[in-house]
Amino acid sequence: MAKKGFTRRQFTGTAAAAAGAVAASSFGAPYVARGAEKVVKLGFLGPLTGEVAGWALPGRNACLIWADQVNAAGGIKIGDDNYMVEIVSYDNEYLTDKSLIGAKKLVLEDEVKLVLMLGGTDAPAAVQFFTKQKMLSTTLLPSDLTPDTLYHLAPAEVHPLYNVTGVEWLAENRPELKTAAICAQDDELGWPSVATYLAAFEAAGIDVVYNKYFDIATTDFAPVVTAMLAENPDIVCLDTAYPDFVNLLCEQLFLQDYKGQIISCTLDFYGRIIEKTSTEFLEGLIFQFPDFDDPAMNEPHINFENPNEFFVNYNERFPDAWSAVTWEYPAIAEMWRLAAEKAGSVEPMDVFAALKEGGRGPHVFGDADWWGEELWGIDNALVGNWPVVQIQNGKATIVEYRNIIDWWNKHGELLKKHTAEQG
Amino acid sequence: MDTVVQTLVNALMQSSFVALMAVGLVLIFGVMRVINFAHGEFYMAGAYVVFWLYAQHDLPFFAAVVAAMIIVGIIGLIIEQLLFKPMRENPLGGLIMSIGVLFILQVLAAVTFGVGLMKHIPPLYPGATPLFGMDGVSVPWQRLVAFGIAVLLLIGFWLFLKRTRLGWALRACAQDREAAALQGMSINRLALIAMGLGAGLAGAAGAIMAPLVRVYPYIGGPVIVTAFIVIVVGGIGSLEGAVLAAVLYTFFHTFVATYLDGTIASILGLLLMLLVLIVRPAGLLGKGEKV
Repeated sequence: MAKKGFTRRQFTGTAAAAAGAVAASSFGAPYVARGAEKVVKLGFLGPLTGEVAGWALPGRNACLIWADQVNAAGGIKIGDDNYMVEIVSYDNEYLTDKSLIGAKKLVLEDEVKLVLMLGGTDAPAAVQFFTKQKMLSTTLLPSDLTPDTLYHLAPAEVHPLYNVTGVEWLAENRPELKTAAICAQDDELGWPSVATYLAAFEAAGIDVVYNKYFDIATTDFAPVVTAMLAENPDIVCLDTAYPDFVNLLCEQLFLQDYKGQIISCTLDFYGRIIEKTSTEFLEGLIFQFPDFDDPAMNEPHINFENPNEFFVNYNERFPDAWSAVTWEYPAIAEMWRLAAEKAGSVEPMDVFAALKEGGRGPHVFGDADWWGEELWGIDNALVGNWPVVQIQNGKATIVEYRNIIDWWNKHGELLKKHTAEQG
Repeated sequence: MDTVVQTLVNALMQSSFVALMAVGLVLIFGVMRVINFAHGEFYMAGAYVVFWLYAQHDLPFFAAVVAAMIIVGIIGLIIEQLLFKPMRENPLGGLIMSIGVLFILQVLAAVTFGVGLMKHIPPLYPGATPLFGMDGVSVPWQRLVAFGIAVLLLIGFWLFLKRTRLGWALRACAQDREAAALQGMSINRLALIAMGLGAGLAGAAGAIMAPLVRVYPYIGGPVIVTAFIVIVVGGIGSLEGAVLAAVLYTFFHTFVATYLDGTIASILGLLLMLLVLIVRPAGLLGKGEKV
């Protein structure tokens, strides 16, 4: 007589096969949080579109990679629980009013535990809201910091303070350069950066022979470059300018046959600039943001897990999209993860206390101090080493790490003077 | 001395595409009596066509420029037929319609191509050459190409208007629409041709400038402001005036931007327009309207 239904052997075999299939299908698949698991949401509030998108969108994308890596490793361990991470983004288009709307949505609707921001134009109202809500938020621009922004941290970047390291390195390694021309975009990104470069050049004994702002509506950079080159500077300084502006300024310098030294805060998508100019033209250009496949990123003081591998992963997933700030947002997220695990909580104020504990923290380029009272009235910026990066054979190469606070201790008064003069 | 000559070169190169933009705008206004605020978006569309065909699909640059003229010209024809024609007797309606078109084209570009960084369009001819052996003065090859194409198009356009029956008809319509209609000319047909030509010229301007400027959906804004200043200074309705004003304004703006400041140049440019309106309300080569 034939047996009806499953035999015990058939059942066991089928169940094992099904379990194997499910397990096999899990390998390599992106993590999807299941109902019973705990999830912690981190907010990303920045310009994902528009001309500033180059300093936010690559960072948001890098955070997605970071979240996938954390989740694949089992999530964030808080006590006996494992929390899976979800990144919630809001495109504020770098507008103050949209930023405030986004801030309220992220905090009140999405219930995020940290908000990552670029900072600058879009920050003031949102940060005020975060402070009232006791929400932890971060910026790349410490000029956002005031004595009132209690829970707003600059844990990755201290723009534009680190620009001093590039000038200092240049003065030591190319002492024959005696004059500089600065052109800068006329906004809150450009102004403090000009003050910093003026202080750095003065400290280095380099005369600034030209220093003018250009309107951010500028479409033709030929006159800007002609005016700068009329002063025959040894160094052309592009200050802190939007990626598009740096691209067009470099192209004009090339077209107007400039052969001197260039220094810039950023050099995003420099491969495209080389394509428009030449490898020889960009050779030796100094800026401040490394590629993470740089061998110097593997030095023991670096606080970023597998930077070379991260760089490769990022470029595979988002080809031709690595910008200056790509690594900063996931680096902050990783600092937050470590602090949350240390605090045993994902609540903003617990993580904030853990981050600030002992007055020091694991900055990407080496352990650093919470600092800033002298400049911004609050010690909410993590300041220490910063790399000086040079284009060598068409590739961004770290030539040295320098300490920002060392420079400040020697020349801080100059920076205060120029900051006051720039208003 | 080198700085002065370099500034002259910069201004000359810039004036050609401004003139191309302005004559198209003048033609559209003359024939259709529409102040076309969307003209800057035709420029933007031309730039995107070059990005798409030349930078992304490896079509030869010059073929991409021709394609840009044709595609943007067709966009102009469609807009005229669907939107401007029904508003023919309502100048305010046409103006509002053009503002609507401006936003629609911007959004279309943003949705299609994104709103991030500028599009990467490598120049066909990178590098520069010294001007007549002057080491301190360089002429970028790509700008020279853009200048050459713009001048050829302007000459071709001028010959078309002066030497062909259709050109005469367009000029007649621009001078006096009612009289032209009484002579048996179809105003709707001429408006269609004017719109196609004007849009095509703006598209060509965007196409030749695409490797030299930031290409993004809102690129038309600063361009249309400049074009309006130029046609007001030149005399609204005057093609010769538009070309003359394009050269004068661009030289003025470039020299002020070089020796003083770009922001000051823009402010002084507007003051220059006001001055011309006070001294010569009809513009440099415009004719006053009979009351």
